[in-house]
Order: sequence, then structure tokens, then C-alpha cells
Amino acid sequence: MRYICTCCGYVYDPEKGDSMNKIPEGVEFDDLPESWVCPLCYAECDKFDLLD
Amino acid sequence: MKASVASLYQSVEFHQEIPPLLIGERCNPNGSKAFKEALLAEDWDACLKVALDQEARGAQVLDLCVAYAGRDEVADMLQLTKLCAGSCKAPLMFDSTSPDTLELVLPLYPGRAIINSINLEDGGANLDRICRLAKKYGAAVVALTINVEGMALTCDKKLAVAKDIYDLAVNKHGLRPQDILFDLLTFTVGSGDETMRDAAIETLNAIKLVKQELPGVGFTLGISNISFGLRPAARKVLNSIFLHEAVEAGLNTAIVDAAKVLPYATISEEDRKICFDLLFNRHPEALMAFIDYFEQAVEQDDSESEESFSSEELLRQKILKGDKEGLDDLLTTLRGRWQPLDIINNLLVPAMREVGELFGRGDLLLPFVLQSAEAMKQSVVLLEPYMEKLADDGRTSVLLATVAGDVHDIGKNLVDIILSNNGYKVHNIGIKVSAEEIIAKAKELQVDVIGLSGLLVKSALLMKDNLSQFQAVGLTQPVLLGGAALTTKFVAVDCAPNYQQPVAYCADAFAGLKAIRDFETGKLLSTQWEESSVAKNRPGPQQEVLDRSFSPPVVPFVGRKLVTDIDAEKLFSYLNEAALFRGRWGYRRGKMSKEGYAELTINTVQPLFQRLKDQSLNEGWLQPKVTYGYFDCVSQGDSLLINSDSGEKVFSFPRQTNAPGLCIADYLRNAEEGGDKVGFFVVTLGHQLAEKTKQLYESDSYHDYLMLHGLGVELTDALAEYWHEKMRVEMGIQQVRGDMCAYVAQGYQGSRYGFGYPSCPDLGAHGSLFEMLQPEEIGVTLTESFEMVPEMSTSAIIVHHPQAKYFAV
Repeated sequence: MRYICTCCGYVYDPEKGDSMNKIPEGVEFDDLPESWVCPLCYAECDKFDLLD
Repeated sequence: MKASVASLYQSVEFHQEIPPLLIGERCNPNGSKAFKEALLAEDWDACLKVALDQEARGAQVLDLCVAYAGRDEVADMLQLTKLCAGSCKAPLMFDSTSPDTLELVLPLYPGRAIINSINLEDGGANLDRICRLAKKYGAAVVALTINVEGMALTCDKKLAVAKDIYDLAVNKHGLRPQDILFDLLTFTVGSGDETMRDAAIETLNAIKLVKQELPGVGFTLGISNISFGLRPAARKVLNSIFLHEAVEAGLNTAIVDAAKVLPYATISEEDRKICFDLLFNRHPEALMAFIDYFEQAVEQDDSESEESFSSEELLRQKILKGDKEGLDDLLTTLRGRWQPLDIINNLLVPAMREVGELFGRGDLLLPFVLQSAEAMKQSVVLLEPYMEKLADDGRTSVLLATVAGDVHDIGKNLVDIILSNNGYKVHNIGIKVSAEEIIAKAKELQVDVIGLSGLLVKSALLMKDNLSQFQAVGLTQPVLLGGAALTTKFVAVDCAPNYQQPVAYCADAFAGLKAIRDFETGKLLSTQWEESSVAKNRPGPQQEVLDRSFSPPVVPFVGRKLVTDIDAEKLFSYLNEAALFRGRWGYRRGKMSKEGYAELTINTVQPLFQRLKDQSLNEGWLQPKVTYGYFDCVSQGDSLLINSDSGEKVFSFPRQTNAPGLCIADYLRNAEEGGDKVGFFVVTLGHQLAEKTKQLYESDSYHDYLMLHGLGVELTDALAEYWHEKMRVEMGIQQVRGDMCAYVAQGYQGSRYGFGYPSCPDLGAHGSLFEMLQPEEIGVTLTESFEMVPEMSTSAIIVHHPQAKYFAV
């Protein structure tokens, strides 16, 4: 499931992963490491909202 | 000219701030038994009473219909018009399709009336006569989408007939579009007629379509027709839901029984769902389900109707719903039983506490919390005249300030709103407050707790220093800290040790409320930080080798330029709606279902956005201006040397301490490489918006205050996005208008680094930047800590290197 950053609008898509944070494809939002932050605005996970 | 109608006493605009304009439908022998009996008995006073009762219950215009078999319409209409014209404040709507009647009654009316109605049933003969009368007497007209084929049932037919009528009324008879209120017809969804299952959908879609195709026209609807044939208690709910949906679609006036309109917010989720299923024909059994559901609900409705709730319970509900309607009467009743102060402490404050708990559980969104706070505030204002003086003794008091050099007050003001509406005494001493002043005020006012706020990184450092000063002069109050640049770790490790009393980090206004409650129960502790906590990432481009083979862009000019003729409306297409709606405004989906959130978006968020957008544009709150330029530069280590008219400037940028060790200066060419070109801008929305938000805050319009402020912040960013795009196009590194979704993720060449943001956090660079761009000429100035004023301004350095992306140092 995709999640959107409520601070900057960045969308975390598990199908794409997040190269800026060295996250490979296929990692669900809930499984992101605790150290993960938004790659664009550095907001933490609790600032993310379920997109679909 | 805004479309409005008038009685002898007042004028009323078609477009109400909170739509719709309510047109009372009861003065109609076919709709009201009381009116029919009075009319037949020629008891004119009783007829007038029906009119006045509707006014008292909220009708803003009164429909007057006297056509009844066996009666003389002209004589009755003249009789009642004379009576109503002198006694009713609400303007009249003459409900007659007879040009003869209208011809006699219009000249009698001392105001601007509405004619109800014209149509093309007879091909246009009556329409021509009535439009001429409307033009002659300056009346507005209701136009029904009926033609020789009959009533238009489908969206397409409704549009077609509306266009035909528009053509005649506007182009032939010279009425203005805003003088026409289209009634696109409502048919019942309660009859079980298979062909009418989509009746509501057709009408709602038609409103949207006609609004789009015939700009400027207004709308009205006989709302209660939607539920014809259903039971009264069920009709009330369905009518109210349908009205709400129609207003969302664009309806600006509605013909209703004003007393029977339920506020949408008071209708339960379950009731709404049952109604939506029926209105939107969501499944074949929707009508049966509706009837069954309200079969039971009717009885519940009888036992739990508003009247049977205690006034105490009603007040609680009003606070929970943020409903300010009727607070005055309700509080008058309650004052008969309670002391004003007890109403506050025993009824209002517990209700607000409940609001806070709902918010905490994610069951209530921030905008609704603010509406509750508005209802709370209004209640207190209404009670104040009856109190000796709000007794401050015993109430916990809090001093709030934004620290020196920082002009941001939205966070502090939200805390003020939440605390003061939970019964605490708040002394909000403003922005840019020095430690000395805070100390003096804390002593003078003998407050119990001090709250410091600030958005900037510099403000966080200042809070730490302030605490040392508080300690030195021996303050004894606990200190709460809030602000975007703070972290739990910073407060626990860097701030708390500087002060002997508790120092607590509050992530939001409710954390502040909780801290105050903890203080009261002696449980407030300094924020703790566990070393085991995971350090956060520093994401960024995982830098390979930086490409040095690129050449500088061709710039259209060297030096700076002012741009003051920017179309404010354009900014809206660069707006980051997700950040606005879910972030700034707090309309987060959270636990909601996808459908629930879509509904919230369509019914609440989008209309709010549209309203604020229209207001901002129409009232000139947005005055976008830009000063920008391109300059010759040379990169040297971590610095950038700029050659400008005001002399050589040096911008020093920080470098990441960890791999890959990025620094903005790396993206530009050094002297050996032949130097480079770099862009800068300062953009602003101007002062008006700040004025307006200030007014909203001062008038306790908490909800709109937060919403407009949030919109301003995001529009400032939109302006930056827009101008960055413009500069990329000017530099030839982008051809055409790109895609806003991609822009969010930096889907373009180069990067825009804002001063004060993670790649170059030092606002001090504004000193040189202001000498180069002279933003004073567009009304932007700097505070002593190099922050820009007005708040709705932003600055950036524009780098063209393809590998340049955001990173944090």
C-alpha cells in the first residue's frame, strides 16, 4: 500500500522502494527500518498518511 | 455587482458565505395545510404568520404562492404582497407562472423580487412576457427546465433546456446571467419507480454541468421533492443530505422548509450512508433498506429528538460538533439552572476534554477541533456578561511566546486556542520576545507554566540559551517547548539540563494540553531520551562521481529583475494539494476507509478549498511578486563567490559530515573550469494575507485562521515552484510546462535550495542575497535574525547541475 508524506507530498510506493534511503523494491511501508525518513523532506513515518 | 434581492428593509445576496440561501416554501396552499386553511378563510393575519414564522426559523427569502382552485390568484397575490412587503424583512419570491398576475404584483413590491418561474412548456410565449417584466421591474427569475416535451429528466436534457432558456433570457431579453436561478428539477427517489433511480444523480450532475457551461448563473431546487412519498422523519434526513450534496455540486439557493433542515454534521455516519445509497443508486435494494432503516429510526427519532435531550447534553453535543447555532438560547436556558462559571467548568470544559480525546484517538481531525473551540469560545463570550469577572484564581495560567527573532505565530496561537478553550488562563505575549521580556512577564503575571515556540533552527538554539537565563534569574516555572526544528533528543539532551524545573517537548498543541494537565497533577517531567533510540537516516542522492563535463546554462540576463504582474490564479496549478490538505490542514485519512476519505475530500475539503480560493482571488489577498536574477559565480571549496553589481559576495555552504559528503558549492564550476552561472530568487505573496489571517485569529475564527494560513504557506511554495520552472525554461534546461506530480519529487533538472532549509540551514546568507536582489522593493524585509517578513515569502538558490538534488547536512 502506498503512503503519502503529509509534509511534502512524496509518495512511498513499495513497488518502487526508495533509492535515496537505499530501500529496495518490495518493502512495505510498515516494514521500513526505524531510521527511515522521507527522502525529500526528512519527515518521520508518523507524518505519512495512507494513500490507497 | 453581486447578485442579490431586496425587501423594503434589507438586501440579501444569492451567494451566501455559507450556502445555500434558504427560501421558505410554506406560504403555499399546496405545501402547507395551515396556509391553505388561512387562505381559504381569508384570514390574512394567519397567512402572514406563516411567513413570519419561517423568517424566525431561518428563511432568508419567502416564496409566496396563492394559486388554488377556486381562488382569484391576482386578488390574493395583491392582498398578501401588500401585507408581506410591509411586515417581512425577507425579500419575496412571487411563485406564479401567470404573466397577468406578475404584471400587477411586481410594480407593487418595494424591493427586488424573484419571479418563480419561467419555463418553455408553451414554447416560449409566457417566458417572453415574464422576462420583459423581469427586465422592466428588475426582478430575478427562477427558470425551470421544462419545454414542450415536458420536464427534463436527464442531465443532458436539463442542460439543453437550460441553454435554450439562457439564450432567450440573456441574449434576447437582456437579463444578466446572475439574475437567473435555474431549478433543474428534483424528482422523488422514494417512489420505487425504476426509471427514477438516478433522479438525484441526474440533478446533481446537471448542476455541475450547467454551472460549467453557463458561467454566472445561480441555482435553486425544491429540495423536499426528492423524498416525496416517504415518511416525514425519514424525509427530513434525506432532504438534508440531498441539500448538502446539491450545495456541494454548486447549488446556491434552495426552496425548503427552513425549520426542517438538519445540519449535515448532526446526521450520523450510518444515516448518511443509508441516504447516500439511495440518492446515488448504489445498490438495487437501497430504497428498501432506506425504508426499513427509518422504520426503526423513526421511533428512535421520537424518543431522542432534540427536545428530549437535556439542555446539558445538547450543549455537549454542540461543542463536540462545533455547532454555534442556537448557543445563545441554549445558554440562556442553562443559566436558569447553573451559575455561568459552573457551565464553563462542569459542562463546557469536559466537552472540550472529550474533543481532545477524540483527536488523540484519531477520531476527530484538527479542523473540526478548531470548530469545537470556536463553539466553546462563543459560549464563554455569551456567558461572560453574567459573570462577576472570570475568576482567575485557581486557574492554571500559562505564558506563551515565540522566541526572539522568530515571527512565526501559528503554532503558538494554536496552543493558545487549545489551552484557553480548555479553561486555562493564557497570556500570549506575541512573537520575537526576548528572554528578558519573558522573564519579566513571567514574574509580573505570576504564571504557572511557560511555553516557548519557534519554527527556525536558530529558535531551537535560542530556547536552549533562554533556559540558562531562566535558571540564572531563578525562575521556578516548568517550561514547555514546541516548534518544527525541535526534536525529543534536542530537548532532552541539550535543553533540559540547563534548567532545574521540568522542560518538556510538546510535538503539538494537544501534547501541550497534556503537559499542563500533568503539571496540575504533579506528574510533569522533563522529556527523556533513550540512547537506544534509532538515529534517523540522512537520505539523499547516493552520489556517484560528480559529472564535471557539463557547461553553464545560457541565461537571459545577468543581474536582477523585479516581476510584479503575476496572475495569482496561476499559482493554484502549482499547489501541492496533498501537503495542504493532509499536512497543513490536517485532513488526514488516518483510520478512515478509502471511500470515507473520498467523501470527506469531496464534501468538506474541496468545497473549503474552493471557497478560500475564490475569496483569496476575489478579495485580492494574494499579491505575488518576485525578485530574481542570474549571476556569474565561481565555486571555491565549500563556498560560492558571486560577482554582482553590489560587489563580490561569498556564500558559504555546509558540507555533509558523513558520506557522500555533499555540499551545494560542488554543483557549480570552479575557476579552473571557467566559472558558472547561478540563479537566486525571493518570492512573496505580499502583506494582505498576513493581515487577513491576523483578523481571523483576532475574531476567534480559529478554523478559517488555520486553513487560510496553511493555504498561504503552500501558495508561497507554489509561487517558488512556478518561478523555479520559469527560470529553468529561461535557462533552456526545460522546454515546456512539466508535471506538478513529478515536481514534488524533483522531476526536473537541477535543484532549488531554500535558505533556512536542510541543505543550507543558515538564514545569515539572506544578508548578501538581499543586497543582490533588493527584495525590499517587493515589500520583503529581514528581521534581526535574517528571517523574511511577510511570513509568506521564500528564497532560494537555483542550481542547474543535473545531479543536484535535495539533501540534508
